[in-house]
Amino acid sequence: MHSEKQKHTFEPKIIAFVCTWCTYAGADLAGTSRMQYPSNVRVLKFPCTGRIDPVFILKAFQQGADGVLVSGCHPGDCHYIAGNFHARRRFAVFRKLLEFVGVDLNRLQFSWVSAAEGGKWVEVVTDLTEKVRAMGPMTEFKELAMEEQWSGAIDTPELKEAYNQI
Amino acid sequence: MTKPIDTSIYTAVTDAIRTEAQRILSEGQVSAIVGYAAARRKGSAQPIVISQPDDAAKLIFTPACVNNLAVYLTKAKKEIPKSGKIGIVVKGCDLKALSGLMGESQLKREDIYLIGVPCAGVLASTVQPATELTTDSIAPKCTECDAHLPTGCDFVPAQTPVAADLEKKYAAEITRLEALTPAERWAYWKEQFSKCIKCYACRQVCPFCFCEQCLCDRNKPQMVDTTPRPAGNTAWHIVRAMHLAGRCAGCAECERVCPMDIPLNLLNRKMAKELKELYDHEAGFEVLDKGPLNMFTEKDDQSFIK
Repeated sequence: MHSEKQKHTFEPKIIAFVCTWCTYAGADLAGTSRMQYPSNVRVLKFPCTGRIDPVFILKAFQQGADGVLVSGCHPGDCHYIAGNFHARRRFAVFRKLLEFVGVDLNRLQFSWVSAAEGGKWVEVVTDLTEKVRAMGPMTEFKELAMEEQWSGAIDTPELKEAYNQI
Repeated sequence: MTKPIDTSIYTAVTDAIRTEAQRILSEGQVSAIVGYAAARRKGSAQPIVISQPDDAAKLIFTPACVNNLAVYLTKAKKEIPKSGKIGIVVKGCDLKALSGLMGESQLKREDIYLIGVPCAGVLASTVQPATELTTDSIAPKCTECDAHLPTGCDFVPAQTPVAADLEKKYAAEITRLEALTPAERWAYWKEQFSKCIKCYACRQVCPFCFCEQCLCDRNKPQMVDTTPRPAGNTAWHIVRAMHLAGRCAGCAECERVCPMDIPLNLLNRKMAKELKELYDHEAGFEVLDKGPLNMFTEKDDQSFIK
């Protein structure tokens, strides 16, 4: 049943923000149906996509995520009636902002996955993982964080020489 | 080429504001008026709150009247609005901010007396307040202004501003940045944001940053690093632009007060452009019940969602 494990040089970290009523249940269905999907994805459960603040996505990238997936109920299926409609507008705008600041949007994926779509969950997660794997690690935000530390980047020739002599 | 901008109406506008302020204060229609007065340096101006009819003669309007006075009526400056009906001197851009605040139930129209100002433009910088207003010294926001003459006010002086046809500075810069690759844009913004010293002047001066507690000040959980270092700076500016998306009135006060000259309004203009394209929303004089990000239609674009 298990396909042979393939060795990769880079295993991306994918953070998935999902809504508890649809996508979480969809992921659960994929699990109980014993479908295989990459273990690179870390699922975080929220009441609704409307609860997912754009700042969470920012924080995920800052903390070392290579890709972010946001997923919830299809339009019209929201448990709270309109949460995903609001989220749709918010993320449409947030995407444009990130793009303007210079973040590669291929690392950020939005999807609608219902509780019955275990197969779609597998497909979405696999696609994103492979896409991000091909792109390599997300370095932009990590470099910013590194600059905040005294032991961060050794970028002057003098420092590099001193470091090499140790 | 530098060309002077016609500000000849400003003297007549000043007179009209003074007469009206005198009248409404002495008739008791308002308890105070927020306006501009001459400051100590020649040509400079500063915000002033007057409550005596005699003080009406202190009010002025010049190209150095850059401040958006709407900020004094927000929750952040609690003391002023409590004292009854307030008069306020507003340029077109300031009136858009006030309309936004009314739409967000921060102010009531009946609690304020609007004195609109026909405005041909103000200075970009008040470091040299006596500078003549030219196509070079004019504030970048004024080059894209569509609100020279405020409407829906209680009083507007009769003068009509001569709107010069100027090169749109933000639009040109946005087009330039959009043409770059993501990596180049990231490098540009990284450099800009690295200048930030986290003084939060942009937040304090913004009429729309009226939250009692800012998300960026909270430390449990801490969403945005508060220290003036690269990661926290970048996060702050992204969060700031996002929270103002669909609300910003384009008064560009954030950019004016920034001591490190970060092009903050560029982010705001970009968001305004996107909201115009996506949801046909533009900041205007009309008081809207709901902003573009507080509402939705079932047909909203979802081509980016799988």
